[in-house]
Order: sequence, then structure tokens, then C-alpha cells
Amino acid sequence: MKQKDGKWFYIFISPWLIGFVGLTLGPILFSIYMSFTNWDLFQSPSFIGLDNYKTLLTDDPLFWKSVGNTFFYALISIPLGMAISLCIAYYLNKKIKGITFFRILFYLPSVVPVVASSLLFVHLLAPSKGLINKALALLGIQGPAWLLDPNWVKPALILMSLWGVGGGVVLLLAGMKGIPQELYEAAAIDGAQSTQSFFHITFPMLTPVIFFNLVTGIIGALQTFAQVFIVTSGGPDNASQMVVPYLFQNAFQFYKMGYASAIAWVLFIMIMVLTLLIFRSSALWVHYEEGKTNE
Amino acid sequence: MSNPSTAEKAISYIFLILVGVLLASPFLYMISIALASDATTIKLAFTFVPREFEWSNFYTIFTNNNLGTYLENSVMITMFTIIGSVLSASVVSYGFARIQAKGSRFLFIVLLSTMMIPGEVTMVPQFIIFRHLDWINTFYPLIVPSFFAGAFNVFLIRQFVMSIPRSLDEAAMIDGMGHPGIYWKIIMPLTYPILAAIAIFSFSWNWGNFMGPLIYINDPEKMPLALGVQLLTTVSGGQLPPWNLVMIASLFLTIPMVLVYLLGQRYVYEANISGGSSGIK
Repeated sequence: MKQKDGKWFYIFISPWLIGFVGLTLGPILFSIYMSFTNWDLFQSPSFIGLDNYKTLLTDDPLFWKSVGNTFFYALISIPLGMAISLCIAYYLNKKIKGITFFRILFYLPSVVPVVASSLLFVHLLAPSKGLINKALALLGIQGPAWLLDPNWVKPALILMSLWGVGGGVVLLLAGMKGIPQELYEAAAIDGAQSTQSFFHITFPMLTPVIFFNLVTGIIGALQTFAQVFIVTSGGPDNASQMVVPYLFQNAFQFYKMGYASAIAWVLFIMIMVLTLLIFRSSALWVHYEEGKTNE
Repeated sequence: MSNPSTAEKAISYIFLILVGVLLASPFLYMISIALASDATTIKLAFTFVPREFEWSNFYTIFTNNNLGTYLENSVMITMFTIIGSVLSASVVSYGFARIQAKGSRFLFIVLLSTMMIPGEVTMVPQFIIFRHLDWINTFYPLIVPSFFAGAFNVFLIRQFVMSIPRSLDEAAMIDGMGHPGIYWKIIMPLTYPILAAIAIFSFSWNWGNFMGPLIYINDPEKMPLALGVQLLTTVSGGQLPPWNLVMIASLFLTIPMVLVYLLGQRYVYEANISGGSSGIK
């Protein structure tokens, strides 16, 4: 039984409570208000009602382009990253010599700070002198100009994101280790091939982890910032502009605080709706072991 | 998994080595560029296998650039944010896990729901608040928020505390111990593994954090490494950035992350298991 002690409860949670009021709730209310104003930080804000949202949704092609780019990035990098990480996790789960070395090696890229990997990929993706195109040339393939080509800049950012798949692999691997061995043994007795047991045992048992990776992956992809800011500055021709860099630009380069706040709220709604949809859909495809409860 | 056959083993090794080479080569390229001479850098003629071993680059970046200052700033900011996030989340999670009060359930739901709000929503108003407090170009906007208990951290520790038998608290209470004593002497020491995980999370988030410093720090003397390294690349007058030095700075940004991971992976792994994959069920 918990001890009833209101005073102590509030004393203990006060760091969070103060932060919540001062750094979350207050700013949220402030942000809502700001999104209805025109404010450049220097003059006092003027109330303009829904104008920011109206402009954003009907009269700002660059915003829609950045939304499109962000979704393109998310829609390709996430499924691709998950397929690859599933494949990697499958092989990292083998009982073979030196597997620990591979596990560490595969995870390392995901701990590299995005600033460092961004600066590195500027060189890896360089048109003729970059490592990636040099490697492609060895195979007889003429690589694209990646970051300079509006058609290839998004695939370039996706390629960059794939370097860090190791983060998701760790969770998948942990999930695989949690699958009871008897299931495989029973399947083997029934004559199941290894591909069959992968799709009928491993994959379904991993769906909770895949679900978690999917949700965090989407939230992360929609908030992509540093890569775009450092590697492409949104270019060429805004082909890699995304929502958060566009928000940042409006707020801290153009000082359109009201407009930036409206973008933030639209972003919030997009994340919310997508997350809810995935949670709703999870009943259809996420498999939970029965009788296993949390807490 | 049963012991794999020879063919299976061969396929696994081929796959792992192939992917391993792909994943490791960017690291090697980073080192190769870091060791390139200025002449190579100007021609952008970097090679995969180091052509030069210009060790003096390491000396140059400390003397001609602010690398020492950037590193010092990063260490300061990271150290205080770790202290702040671990301490505050620990205290708060005890309140939520062990003390019942009017509104405690409701407040916990509020705490959980704040996890869903993207940082971008509060970014602009927080900037205005901190600007009002005259905190621009100081470490305060980067450090102070960590002392207000991050929701995810509170959630992780609370999960952990829930698994500690309550009879421990009850016995202490009979002995006349109050909440501060129970927290400090009994619960907190038992949560060290999860606190270590949170320290590591906090380290990795703050060490590499780019957007925060980009918003709040303009003065190169105050910049942490993640921002300073990017500043190195912005050269005026049509000159090329000193890419060899930039890659050295990138290495300095990367190596601590790798070390912390290697030393602390056990804790992160445990936290991932308890808070990540199963915690969302």
C-alpha cells in the first residue's frame, strides 16, 4: 500500500511540476497565442486570428514542399531501415564465433552524433571524389551528384540515415532473444523450414519491438533537422527542405515567431494523427503474448 | 537457436563481413580525412586508405582553432545536464511510485502525455522566455531545463521503483523513517543501474545536441563542440573549409560517445529492455 501523504508527494514531484508549468504548459499556451499573432520579436505582437494558419495551409508552397519532402523521407527511410535492421538482427542472432565483435561494430554508427555524421557524409556523397561514388565506379556504375541533384538529395539523406540502423537492431536482437526456444523446436519437429519459422514465429513475436521502432522512427523522421541544416541547407532548389528546418528558419532567421509557432502546431497535429493511426492499427498486426502484463 | 550448420555459418559470415565493411568504412574515411595534409585538403583529394599521416593536424586544431574551448564547454554543459536530469528524475519518480496523494494519478497521466509533445512546440516560446531572462549566450538555457525532470526518465525510473518490494519502505516507516530518508537511504541506492542508464542517455543527448546551442549560443567562446565543429566549416571569402581539422573535431565529438557506449552498454541494454520494448505494452 502506498502511504498517503499529500505534502510529501508534492514536494517530491515539485521539480517536474515547476518545469511542467514553466517550461511546458506555459510555453504551450504562449505558443498557441503566438500562432494567432504577427510578431517579429522587436515590435509588440499584433493579433491576426487564423491568418498564419490560412497562409501556411493555402498560400505557402514552400511549406507544402517541406511537408512532402519530410514524408517522402519518412516513408522510405523507415520501412527500408526496418527491413535492413531485421535482416541484420537475424544474422547477429546466430551462435557463431566473433558475433560480439559484429554486434558492437554494427551498433557504433548509431552513437555518432548527427553533426559528425552529417559533416562526414558531405564527403562520402561528394559527386566525383566521394567515397560512395568511387565505390560505385569500381562496380562500373556512374553515381549521381547526390547532394547537388534535386532528384537524388533525398535518397542521399535516406542513405545517410541507414548508416545508423544499429540502434533499432539492438532492440530487435533483444526481442529475438526473448522468443522461447521451444517454439522453434516444435516448429522444426513439424518440419518447418527456417524461412517458415522466421515468418511464422520470429516475425510475429517481434511485432511489439517493430511497433516501437516504427513509432519512434516516425516521430524522429518528422523532426529531422541537423542533417538538413548541415548537409544541404534545404537545397538544391528546396528539394530537401523539411518541416523543422523550415520552422527554424522562420523563427530564428526571419524572426517570424507567430508563423513559426503555427508551423509547430501543424507539425504537432501531423505527429499526433500519425501516432494515433499506428496505435489504432497495432491491434491488427502487433502480436502480444497472452497473459503477459505490464507492472 | 540451435547450433548452425557449416553452410549457414558461411552465409552468416559473408553477410556480416560485407555489411560490416559498409558500416565501418565511413569511420575509416573520417580518420583518413583527419590525417590529410593541407595540400590534399585544398584539392579535396581524400582517399579511403590514408595517404598521409599529418599528425600535426591535432596540434594545429588546438592552437589555431578553439577546439580546447569547445571541448571544455561541452564537458561543462554535459556534466551539469547529467547531474540535473538524473537527480531531478530520481526524486520525482519516487513521488510518483511511492506516495499516494490527491491528484497523483492525474498528474502522472499529465506527465506521460507531455512525452507526446514535440520539442518544436515549446522551442519558440522557451527562446523568448530565456531571452527575456537575458540568458542568450550563456549555458543556462542548455542546462537549467534538465533540472526539471524529463518525463521519459521519470517513467523509466518509476517502472524500476515499482519492482522494489514495498515491505522495505514499510519496515523503514515503522522504524520512524520519513519519505526523505526512505528515498535517500533505501530506494535511490537500489535504482543505481537505471540512474546509470539515464546518465548515459543524458550524456549522449547533450554531447551531440546541435539545435539547442544553435539557438542560444552565438559567441564562439561559449560554443560546445557540436556547434563549434559546424562553425569551422563556415568559411568566408570563397575559401574551402579546413576539412582535415573539421574531421578531427568530428572525431573528438564521436570518440567519447563510443567510449561511453562501450563502458555503459550493459545499463543501456537493461533500460531498453525494461523501458523500451516491453514498457510500451
